[in-house]
Amino acid sequence: MRGLTKFYGEGTTQVRALAGVDLDLFAGELVVLLGPSGSGKTTLLNQLGGLDLPTSGTLRYRDTDLTHATEAELTLYRRESVGFVFQFYNLIPSLTARENVGLITEIATNPMPAEEALGMVGLSPRLDHFPAQLSGGEQQRVAIARAIAKRPAVLLCDEPTGALDVHTGIVVLEALERANRELGTLTVIITHNAVMAEMADRVIRFSDGRVQSEQHNATRAAPASLRW
Amino acid sequence: MLPHLDRKLLRDLKRLKGQAAAVSLVMACGLAMLIMARSLIHSLESTRAEYYQTNHFAEVFVPLKRAPNHLAEQVRALPGVATVQTDLSVPVTLDLPGLTEPASGAVRSLPDFGEPELNRLFLRRGRWLSPGARGEILVGEAFAEANALNPGDTLTMLLNGRRQVFRVAGIVLSPEYIFESRPGAALPDARTYGIFWMPYKEVATAWDLYGAFNRLSLTLAPGANERPVIVALDQLLRPYGGLGAYGRKDHPSHIRVTDEIRVLTILSIGFPIVFLSVAAFMTNAVLTRLLALQREQIAILKAFGFTNRAIVVHYLKFAFVMVVAGLTLGLLGGVALGHQLVVMYRLFYRFPDLHFRLDGGAVGIALGVALGAVTLGVLDAVRRAARLPPAEAMRPEPPANFRPAFIERIGIAKLLSHSFRIAVRNLERRPAQAAFTVAGLALATALLILPNSFKAGIHEVLDFQWDVVQRQDLNLGLVEPSAARLAHELAQLPGVTSLEPTRNAAVRIHFQGRSRQIGLRSLLIGGQHSRAVDHAGREITPPTDGIIVSAKLAAVLGAKIGDTLLLEALEGRRPVAEVKLRALAEDFTGIAAYMELHAISRFLGEGDVITGASIGLDMSRRAAFLAALRDIPRVSTVAIKETMRQSFRETTAKSMGLIQSIYLTFAVIVAFGVIYNNARISLAERARELATLRVVGMTQREVGAVLVIELVVLALLAVPLGLLLGTGLTTVIIGSINTETIRLPLVFTTYTYTFAVVVVLVASTLSALVVLRKLNQLDLIAALKAPE
Ligand SMILES: Nc1ncnc2c1ncn2[C@@H]1O[C@H](COP(=O)(O)OP(=O)(O)O)[C@@H](O)[C@H]1O
Ligand SMILES: [Mg+2]
Repeated sequence: MRGLTKFYGEGTTQVRALAGVDLDLFAGELVVLLGPSGSGKTTLLNQLGGLDLPTSGTLRYRDTDLTHATEAELTLYRRESVGFVFQFYNLIPSLTARENVGLITEIATNPMPAEEALGMVGLSPRLDHFPAQLSGGEQQRVAIARAIAKRPAVLLCDEPTGALDVHTGIVVLEALERANRELGTLTVIITHNAVMAEMADRVIRFSDGRVQSEQHNATRAAPASLRW
Repeated sequence: MLPHLDRKLLRDLKRLKGQAAAVSLVMACGLAMLIMARSLIHSLESTRAEYYQTNHFAEVFVPLKRAPNHLAEQVRALPGVATVQTDLSVPVTLDLPGLTEPASGAVRSLPDFGEPELNRLFLRRGRWLSPGARGEILVGEAFAEANALNPGDTLTMLLNGRRQVFRVAGIVLSPEYIFESRPGAALPDARTYGIFWMPYKEVATAWDLYGAFNRLSLTLAPGANERPVIVALDQLLRPYGGLGAYGRKDHPSHIRVTDEIRVLTILSIGFPIVFLSVAAFMTNAVLTRLLALQREQIAILKAFGFTNRAIVVHYLKFAFVMVVAGLTLGLLGGVALGHQLVVMYRLFYRFPDLHFRLDGGAVGIALGVALGAVTLGVLDAVRRAARLPPAEAMRPEPPANFRPAFIERIGIAKLLSHSFRIAVRNLERRPAQAAFTVAGLALATALLILPNSFKAGIHEVLDFQWDVVQRQDLNLGLVEPSAARLAHELAQLPGVTSLEPTRNAAVRIHFQGRSRQIGLRSLLIGGQHSRAVDHAGREITPPTDGIIVSAKLAAVLGAKIGDTLLLEALEGRRPVAEVKLRALAEDFTGIAAYMELHAISRFLGEGDVITGASIGLDMSRRAAFLAALRDIPRVSTVAIKETMRQSFRETTAKSMGLIQSIYLTFAVIVAFGVIYNNARISLAERARELATLRVVGMTQREVGAVLVIELVVLALLAVPLGLLLGTGLTTVIIGSINTETIRLPLVFTTYTYTFAVVVVLVASTLSALVVLRKLNQLDLIAALKAPE
């Protein structure tokens, strides 16, 4: 992406959420995007995931120009290539764990079975539980299974551990790390928690709608070794 | 395997089952009405068409005084005429054991050999007349049923003054008498009026009509036009006392069935529109709320690549499931009610075989209309929800903008409880939702006005027709016009307290190419019996010249006060005269014209002649009066007011009453459905907030009060609006029940309004109780955790 900006609102109440972002992301990487609350991380992720269009700048995914994509092209991009994990899990409450994953694999071209995806996040015993019967960490793992089941090229996670305690948070991060390793998915984890930087291939520090610095880690720390 | 999105649909529906059921039920009411009415129309129309076809019902009819049989050849030769049938129709007086009132009827002749070409009879029971046998008759079914006559029974008749006993060979039906009633009478009276058939030879001999006919019917050649045939026929038969030919659409029995179909048509359009609008409203309320609750779920579906269209379809399916449930219920209900009404129709309309026939097209229309209504009701909301950018939908809705409510600003609030303040603020905060609820409640209230107003209208007809317009106790009709002296003789009969002479005449009234055959009735200046009354219920003083007609007749003719009408007498020397239309009479059954008695005499060019009398009677001497009357052979008909009233009650009033009770039931269901639905939605929308109030220490009572106060405030706003709306709606629908057979007056009583208010109150109270129970069972933790 080059010179990406995003403004919200108009006139005097206008907010500049992204102030010109230049960034390249590569297949198979595990990237941690670090920044304080309100710095524009979610906004950036929304642009990356094709949930929203930038005000100016260019954003390319492989050969596709996402900046000028139509609604239908964005939908196709999200359907085929992107998986999302949100801070508040956002499962469909009326569907079981298996069904929440199945809902998405049903419309994907090359998905893995829902059971396999849930197996990868260690939830095989809870296939037929409804979200209300699962703990926060379990719900987040269902959300991860849902995101990876279609074997997406890009996995975007917005504060995936934000609502979880340390122990559960680590289990979730392990699931993400495993998906990245085994499926070779470009994984972007957004957080304001600096500790998580250690598990990344690359750490991007973000503030005031801009990339402030980048840092490559020679080795990735195992999530289990993290503490906060 | 069911797609996952549909599984979500089913589970969500299960949570919403109470509300979904309420919507389906309301829809079912409208659809049942639609399917019932359209199917009844289909049943009546197709049965009638088949009956006409099978029994060769004629297309043009003409009564006349007397014409030689060979004249039929000339009629047959007229261009456009296919088949011609002539016969005799003569009046008879009956002597029924156990019946004090004189009964009468018409005898129609049948060919001595073979079946008639046209207007063939249908044999219900017994057998046909045996060729050459004497003293046998066939009896129309309505009269036979009312008088428990069976084949083999005997019946005494006065044939042209000669008393004779006949044996009933069979009970029959005729396409000419699907509705059997005294000519000109708006109401049937099967007990004292019947139709009978005898061989031509026997009728002709008794009345000295051998070799002649006084009725002619014909069918038209394919493609022929009715108008020129009628004109030619009238010209040809004028010298023979032709009383004016008319087509099927002016045939009295045909008109009655057509009028019934017309009322059904109004039912099949007006009522379903109202019900389905309410259903669309409710669907919108349910779905709008669902969409608000599932904002984030929609965002997730979009984030994962579901298209807008897939999401729109998913939510429309909610509405469609309700439609399908409503249609199924409506179909069952419509068929069941339709069967009931057919059973009743069989009493009024005599068909060989009237069965309920489901109108398949109507089911299709019902499905289409219901789908259309709910789609219209929700499509916009669903579209908007689906179009919301996912990134935005993911953010929780901005916090509500609370500010002190109007009531607080004007200072009353200090006097009010916390619960009240919260409730009022809530309503002011979401004026759109409040307006929506008020609209729903108002519609429910409005629906309750119509059925009772309908009922009040029927009662008004019952009172009006017999107590305001006809203040006499009975009407006598004479066999033929007689000298006015006869009135003095009649006045001497036992029990007569007052008597006024009447001079009625059969006339055809013309205006600008339109015409109607009607009974012209006489009014007396200063008369105390029959009167004409205007739309404001004021008596119209009969003008010494000119004519008064039913407002409906004026409408049919397209005439207004001051216009000059052409009046053609169909009897005597058959004079024709121009008369000025002086006033419009407001009457509700049949159509009529009134002239001052002497004006009628002048018009007919005759002296003091009467055709009957209206009589006030000391009812305790009724039996003596009727017994004495038997000795006056010139009296042919007696119409006792109470008997007529009873008959109206048992026929028209009963049929309308049944429809009215069905409708009332539906309206009550709808009122409950709408109110219950509203209460549930307001609970569900607020569960989280109410749970918070409980958590911070408000008691169950106080929290319950918040909801109940909201409901009460909304009801207080909605009910007056609903009463107003209902009045308008009723005015439109009752105004369109406006046929030549029956018109309904607009009557709004305190009872009508009170009933509506009470139903709404009861429904509100019950709904509030249900909601309060749910509120008390509210799982505080769960309510705080999730928005659902
Ligand atoms: N839909 C929106 N409308 C207006 N302002 C927004 C919207 N979304 C985000 N913002 C603003 O943009 C800035 C960046 O927000 P966000 O990307 O959510 O930050 P982060 O995720 O880093 O906490 C904030 O100031 C926020 O208030
Ligand atoms: Mg954020």
